[in-house]
Amino acid sequence: MKCIIEAKNLIKLYQSGSEELRALDNVSLQVRENDYLAILGPSGSGKSTLMNILGCLDIPTSGEYFLDEENILESSEDKLAELRNKKIGFVFQKFNLLPRLTALQNVMLPLLYRGMDEKQAEQRATEKLDILGLKNRLSHRPNELSGGQQQRVAIARAIIGNPPLILADEPTGNLDSKSSLDVINIFAELNTQGNTIVVITHDVEVAEKMEKVVYIKDGRLSKTS
Amino acid sequence: MQLKQLFKMVLINIYTNKIRTFLTTLGVIVGTATIFLVVAIGKGGEAQVNQQYSRLNVGTIMVMPAMRGKVISPLSKSDAELFQESPYISVAFPILSGRGDISYNSISCTGSFSAIEPEFQEVNHFTLKEGSFLSAEDESNQNKYVILGAEIAETLKDGDPSVNLIGETITVSSRRFKVIGILDLLGDSGPGLSYDESVFVPYTVGQKYLLGSKANPTIVAQAADIESVQNAIADITSILDENHRIGGAEQFRVRDAGSRLAAAQESARTMSLLLLAVAIVVLIVSGIGIMNVMFVSVKERTKEIGTLKAIGAKKKEILTQFLSEAVVISLVGGIIGVIIGGATLPILSYFSLPALPSLSGVLLGLLFSAITGIFFGFYPALKAASLNPIEALRYE
Repeated sequence: MKCIIEAKNLIKLYQSGSEELRALDNVSLQVRENDYLAILGPSGSGKSTLMNILGCLDIPTSGEYFLDEENILESSEDKLAELRNKKIGFVFQKFNLLPRLTALQNVMLPLLYRGMDEKQAEQRATEKLDILGLKNRLSHRPNELSGGQQQRVAIARAIIGNPPLILADEPTGNLDSKSSLDVINIFAELNTQGNTIVVITHDVEVAEKMEKVVYIKDGRLSKTS
Repeated sequence: MQLKQLFKMVLINIYTNKIRTFLTTLGVIVGTATIFLVVAIGKGGEAQVNQQYSRLNVGTIMVMPAMRGKVISPLSKSDAELFQESPYISVAFPILSGRGDISYNSISCTGSFSAIEPEFQEVNHFTLKEGSFLSAEDESNQNKYVILGAEIAETLKDGDPSVNLIGETITVSSRRFKVIGILDLLGDSGPGLSYDESVFVPYTVGQKYLLGSKANPTIVAQAADIESVQNAIADITSILDENHRIGGAEQFRVRDAGSRLAAAQESARTMSLLLLAVAIVVLIVSGIGIMNVMFVSVKERTKEIGTLKAIGAKKKEILTQFLSEAVVISLVGGIIGVIIGGATLPILSYFSLPALPSLSGVLLGLLFSAITGIFFGFYPALKAASLNPIEALRYE
């Protein structure tokens, strides 16, 4: 099966004063198409650094990273922006919706950054929000929505462009247990439809619901189950 | 992202911050309104100067007693005759002026009177409303005739249009003169001098009855053409030096109309430039205001910028978005400024400040406001575009 993420010997060093900090220490990871994977680790384990690199927001100090067969290390800043737009759907802990835009406009954004025509983008965004049960919330702004609804809008935004990878950073971290369950169920459903999903979390309960879990501690990965 | 959609986002962002946007634009509004008004006042001033001097023959040279000092040997008709011998001077004649009571029946007013030779009327492009000009025969026969400036004539008619002054006798400084002509309204002829409020009598008659032979005449000389003006002035100066050995040419002033016109235009232009400088300072200050607000805006929206970058916004797109915001803010201010400037024009004309609205004023105002937005919006926009996406996303 096709490899969506192919990372080899990733090392990320930070300079903190005179000390050198090894945030990632020789991390290798493979994620295949239609995987449903949790990266589980406590805070300070290096999981944010890993998530940033996997999300093409940051470049490793050394190592190799292919995302959907594209070599990330050789990409320019603009190329990375394009990769983020086309290959990755981000879901954040705090939803990160634009406060002045409506739910519909928020969902349309990734398509607009692709240069898609507004009408077409609007149609597709409406469909996605409908599927996620937000048909009556299209013109609501984020502050008029509950946390669970906001996260569903964010998920709609993440999947609108059919990216090969959905990357979620503590997607349930700011939600009550019912909404959390909702989000997990949506992910599971998306996975059955063929989406590849990577969830980064410190929450064991969340991680247990995924098909595979890898652990990260002190910048090193260890595989189990 | 297509420009249309980017622009929509810009407008949404600006619209959400209405009050802040308005306060930011205040400086631009003032600056642009000032530029618009400066251009209007400049054009109005220029038009006024041109209109004021439209009757002025640029080849006219005036020789007058100096402002300071005593004239030991006054100018005379013979000086004028000598000037006329210069190849650079086509005609020269003396005039005498004074002020006095002018009355007709029971109506009396104070006005200027000038004793002139017939050529004076030609050189000043006088036109008649009725009657006839003073002629050479009037001069040689010493006819006690008078022609009236338009406003004096109106005053003497006392608002009754049926009164016909031609052929009537009026008194000037208690001397009786017969009215033979009334001039058209000429408009201002120069600072402190209005032919409309003057009456004119033949030179020798005026010298004899009104001003006395000891009066100091002014000589008006007409250069042959504009190129001859400087040579004519040189000739006049040397003739004066020779002819008035006591006192010399220093006791007289020689002024040519062309340089008076140039000086008036120059001072109008200087005024415009000064106001323009003020407007530009206002715009610079308002630009700094825009820059401040844009910095605050970038800071506030750091997390948003991170999000936009995460979902695929390129550096250029963020830059364009924030730069457009600054430009839209300043252009909105510019448009309001031009409208306010236009609305202010009636107030200016109420204070009889000459101002002409013009398209170039509108365009200049808008151009400067846009430049302010681009110039002062660029750095904050660049800062937004250069944000590190990770740090931006982490920003709370």
